[in-house]
Amino acid sequence: MVRLPYTTALTTLFSYGLLFAFGQLRDFFRKFVDWFKAKNVKGYAPICLGLEDFYVRRLYLRIQDCFGRPIASAPDSWFDVVERTSKDNNKTLQRTSNTTRCLNLGSYNYLGFAAADEYCTPRVIESLKKYSASTCSVRVDGGTTKLHNELEELAARFVGKPAAILFGMGYVTNSAIIPCLIGKGGLIISDSLNHNSIVNGARGSGATVRVFQHNSPAHLEEVLREQIAGGQPRTHRPWKKIIVIVEGIYSMEGELCKLPEIIAVAKKYKAYTYLDEAHSIGAVGQSGRGVCELLGVDPADVDIMMGTFTKSFGSCGGYIAASKEIIQHLKHSCPAHLYATSMSPPAVQQVISAIKVILGEDGSNRGAQKLARIRENSNFFRSELKKMGFEVLGDNDSPVMPIMLYNPAKIPAFSRECLRQKVAVVTVAFPATPLLLARARICISASHTREDLMKALDVISRVGDLVGIKYFPAEPPKIAGADHDKLE
Amino acid sequence: MAKLYVQAFPPADLNKNTEWFMYPGVWTTYIIIVFFSWLLVLSVFGCTPGTAWTVVNLFHFAITYHFFHWKKGTPFADDQGMYNTLTWWEQMDNGKQLTRNRKFLIVVPVVLYLIALHTTDYQQPMLFLNTLAVSVLVVAKLPNMHKVRIFGINAES
Repeated sequence: MVRLPYTTALTTLFSYGLLFAFGQLRDFFRKFVDWFKAKNVKGYAPICLGLEDFYVRRLYLRIQDCFGRPIASAPDSWFDVVERTSKDNNKTLQRTSNTTRCLNLGSYNYLGFAAADEYCTPRVIESLKKYSASTCSVRVDGGTTKLHNELEELAARFVGKPAAILFGMGYVTNSAIIPCLIGKGGLIISDSLNHNSIVNGARGSGATVRVFQHNSPAHLEEVLREQIAGGQPRTHRPWKKIIVIVEGIYSMEGELCKLPEIIAVAKKYKAYTYLDEAHSIGAVGQSGRGVCELLGVDPADVDIMMGTFTKSFGSCGGYIAASKEIIQHLKHSCPAHLYATSMSPPAVQQVISAIKVILGEDGSNRGAQKLARIRENSNFFRSELKKMGFEVLGDNDSPVMPIMLYNPAKIPAFSRECLRQKVAVVTVAFPATPLLLARARICISASHTREDLMKALDVISRVGDLVGIKYFPAEPPKIAGADHDKLE
Repeated sequence: MAKLYVQAFPPADLNKNTEWFMYPGVWTTYIIIVFFSWLLVLSVFGCTPGTAWTVVNLFHFAITYHFFHWKKGTPFADDQGMYNTLTWWEQMDNGKQLTRNRKFLIVVPVVLYLIALHTTDYQQPMLFLNTLAVSVLVVAKLPNMHKVRIFGINAES
């Protein structure tokens, strides 16, 4: 749920309508120009429908300098952004050898493990010497090392499940797992804002997919009742199994899942639950165990827990944690386990070291300090942004905080002006978000210092005034002598 | 002047081609665009208001018929062609009929038709053209016409 001025809604829709109209007009005349060109292959159907890349051709390329910016150093709190130029109005971009030292508000570097770490990096280098950079093999051939087994046990213990399984790529953890868990005759009920990996995994499974309104346990119950009463399509037989799929922190909203309510509804109707903690694992919770710890849900109540190592742990890959029987089934049937190259041993060691730092098993309290700092940084930054009058989505304790921009013209304006002021932010627009709700997404890290956050707030405030995205009145500054006057 | 704020909820519709119609301000924007089109026609051609309404009605018919009832598929490769055989009207609201948005889109051409007739004083040939336009649009939007291709017209994906 977002609040926006009505005039902003009207102008945003008008802007997109105008862009769409001009794009269609250009496509219309392009059709005539291309009509007279020689067609190389007669009698063949087109490989790509012209309609399918309309968005990329007519809208995205105009502002593609604001997306996918290359960097030239580790994504720590400050990093080097490579400068690019274009001679054809952003149709193509050329990299230069110049870089800009920018404050990094765009990386998922929640706990600061993305750069060198005093505990993790020496152990990673040591494992690189011992195991080499890659196993060049699948898990069931020669791709399993002691590190892989150790990380599976550690991941299961960390999230509170009996067993876990590793995958070398975070996206594949969802898209290859879901077809192994459910198939034809099953029902998947997915949150409407779930990640594309979940969407593609659900489509690839062959099960019936239904969507419930984002983070709405009431609508989930409504969908469950309707689908259970109706049964399978056409035959109306009972479903073989039902899985409800939700995320811990929604990456485009910064919003925490209403997990206790959703678990209650799923258990009431005897549906399984699948929790994607790609962003929340390691970033929220007293000891970094994710939304189950933060919201007081027993991990035994969630049937399948998924997470990635690509964000808080500064590595790659993902895991599935569940009962021993489910993990054994996945090890026998999942193509990402049977056919994909296993996770790189130094990457596995990086995750092992990061989890040990978080758990305090490295002999110091740096993990607890990191968790406290990211919580404090996130809540400080969010409250300051709201005081300035920005519309900030997400919940407290969430390190992801989208700032709403709405108008398509404000996406490049905000992005370019922040980059000019040495602050790197990520802007997100349609179709990654709904049409009306373009935003800039700020990701807070434990490695940000208070001075970094103050500088970022100052830049964002000035750019916000310049671009016009402070849609709410700012909080008036506190009068210094007020308390003393009351006391007297 | 106090600002008027509205709330926007993410809809339970995964089709990016049609979910934009479920946000606040869409109806108002639609009506405002039609009204400013009328003003534009009035200024450019310098004709009577009735003729301008007729021109707007016919343009509205041509544009909405093409984009809502003729053109199929979505402009996003992510959908992997699952909507390639459906028009925008058939994709809307996941195919559910008689929703508020569908009723709004049926009412708009009818109201435009009434305004155009009234301002042209029911004269020919405006009467015939307006009636033809509104008949085609309303028939195409009826629930009975869901996924119907008369004589196979526009049936190929």
